[in-house]
Amino acid sequence: MSKPKYLHLTPAAIKILKKNGCWSRHWEKVKVSKGFDPTRIAGTIFRGKVRIGSLDGQFIPRDGIRRYAGIFDANLHNVTIGDNCHISNINGWLSNLVIEDRVLIEDVGSIVCQGETTFGNGHSIEVLNEGGGRELKITEMTSAQTAYLTTLYRHDSELITTLDQIADKYAGSVRSDRATIGEGSFIFHCQNIVNVKIGKGAILRGIQNLKEGSIASALDASTFVGDGVIAKDFIIQKGAHVSDGALLQGALIGEGTRIGKQFSAENSVLFSNSEGFHSEVCSIFAGPYSVTHHRSTLLIAGMFSFFNAGSGTNQSNHMYKLGPLHQGILERGCKTGSSSYLLWPSRVGAFSAIMGKHYANFDTSDFPFSYVNEDGGKSTLVPGMNFFTVGTMRDGLKWPLRDRRTNADKLDQLIFNVLSPYTGQKMIKGQATLLELYANAERGQEYVSHAGILIKRLLLKTCSRYYRMALEKYFGDVLVARLQEKTPAELSQLITPPVGAVDGNAFWVDISGLLCAKPRLDDLLDSLKSGMVTDTSSLLQEFETIHAHYVDDEWSWILQSLPEVFGFKEGDISVDDLKSVLEKWKISSGKLLNMVEMDASKEFEGNVRTGFGIDGYQDADFDAVRGSFEANSFKQQLDDMRQKIETDLEQSIDILNNL
Amino acid sequence: MSTLDRIKNVAVELLKIEASRINENSRFVEDLGADSMQSIELVASFEEEFDIEMDEDAALGVKTVGDAVSFIDKVIAEG
Repeated sequence: MSKPKYLHLTPAAIKILKKNGCWSRHWEKVKVSKGFDPTRIAGTIFRGKVRIGSLDGQFIPRDGIRRYAGIFDANLHNVTIGDNCHISNINGWLSNLVIEDRVLIEDVGSIVCQGETTFGNGHSIEVLNEGGGRELKITEMTSAQTAYLTTLYRHDSELITTLDQIADKYAGSVRSDRATIGEGSFIFHCQNIVNVKIGKGAILRGIQNLKEGSIASALDASTFVGDGVIAKDFIIQKGAHVSDGALLQGALIGEGTRIGKQFSAENSVLFSNSEGFHSEVCSIFAGPYSVTHHRSTLLIAGMFSFFNAGSGTNQSNHMYKLGPLHQGILERGCKTGSSSYLLWPSRVGAFSAIMGKHYANFDTSDFPFSYVNEDGGKSTLVPGMNFFTVGTMRDGLKWPLRDRRTNADKLDQLIFNVLSPYTGQKMIKGQATLLELYANAERGQEYVSHAGILIKRLLLKTCSRYYRMALEKYFGDVLVARLQEKTPAELSQLITPPVGAVDGNAFWVDISGLLCAKPRLDDLLDSLKSGMVTDTSSLLQEFETIHAHYVDDEWSWILQSLPEVFGFKEGDISVDDLKSVLEKWKISSGKLLNMVEMDASKEFEGNVRTGFGIDGYQDADFDAVRGSFEANSFKQQLDDMRQKIETDLEQSIDILNNL
Repeated sequence: MSTLDRIKNVAVELLKIEASRINENSRFVEDLGADSMQSIELVASFEEEFDIEMDEDAALGVKTVGDAVSFIDKVIAEG
């Protein structure tokens, strides 16, 4: 915003203002910029200190109706107005505001700031555990990673104190008795907005009631808050879209997240690119890409990311004993089937599908890509099976393409990879566990029990092979990518861990979307506790640095794990070893594509045609509506992938031969 | 006992159906009612019954009891 040199009103200007129906008890408190045109103001009451920028511009909002800069039928109290704003039909007051340049405010009840406030920043919410103990201070700068540490590292009181101080410091930096409405914002047809900070380029339309909050927005990532929204103690981050009767209380809505259709959130965070419609969430930690679309779904006291909630998904966090103390974790990529139910506490491994009702408390975190089923009231697990379904493959392909964040300064650091050291280490462990369970089971035994859940004995070996295939595919994928991306000079060091990479033995964690080797996180925690990282900007920078190391850290882990996964002898890995990795990769990748294709083809066969051809012509009706499997775009993608495997293998072997 | 009889026994046990319903032309899904999970369990059961390891995607592509007989005999023959 430019800084106009404000001047007192001239007697001639005051005369025109009075003639236009304006009123002030103290005209001397109204100052205007040079070249002020009093004919652009009518029907306005001035109270307290009012500053007005130039009023000679015009603009056309999306409704296509040209607005001229000016102030018409408004009540202003302690307001600074930037250049070329249009303010009209203010039924209540605009009070204690800094309105930046080119803002449009039209048909609004009141927008006021009542005393000093931090605009929702620093507000503490009881996330994940409804009974408390994991309080998170939300701010406009809270990323999924920051929230993860604050919520889940409660055992480290020094760290929590530091993170709380960082949040408080940010809240202090925005504390003011004036609320800002950012440059280029449009505010139409709203009722009451109290103690709300509004970022640049925001569009607010038809809001019912906002109190104590911040709407972060940027000219390159406009935030929309729309019809009927009621929110209190909230943060809405850049590029979010909140509308259609959404109810928020103590909530953070992340960048690019879409909320609407009477969705309600209390004591919850929904980070980037999440979607909440119709349903209700309470004390949830929804990491990036958490999606709930259905009216009958309740998510409570759970942690999610890259999650899709089926209709009627429900959990209990209360056993009617000491209160709502229980919590649950669905690791990244999980889905819940229609009417699924989980009795917290439970923890479900990454990329698992949960179907049926579960009254047992289980931990399947060492078994990613699993089916969690209900069989006659018992919870059962089919480890690894979900890796070979079309849904998981489609999810992995679609997430990076559906990133709605357009701002350059993104808060959440995301690694989208379905296969990673995080899932890889779990599959290695899961594979070994399954074989051990098989070895110890009696042949006549139908199920074995592990970590609170049942696994069919017959499937133990089969599922361990699923993990082996997934690992072979993963390691080959990474090897191929590295061979293709690195220069010949870099490839001469192929089997040496990259300079600066973490030890390949490191344990990997998923910091709500950011996959990272634990030593990197530990370094960051040390930096935080030793006072080297003291504000939100530097903390975000640290996560960005961790993100930048992912590829090399991953390769370090791959190199370390190759002998175990492929049965190589200890010692240096040879070129022949790498060629054998590629051969197994080709076979496993081909099998994966075949199994995914078989799964996808079920969408075109047998019973799925039921209901088509209401008066006959079933196949013709089906073909007209759904098309043929052969012509399906996903089938085409699979064929392209098969072709690419052949090409990649040939190129990679050539590169290895020239090393 | 023939491969066919052993396959029948596995199917009877797993799918809870009468042996008389099963012949070489029976389709596991459409005629014997195997769902997707049971199809995987059938493969695992055949592996255990015949002490073999079957190629996952090829095995899941087997549609009829007769195909299973041929498939398993081939795996056994290849050792």
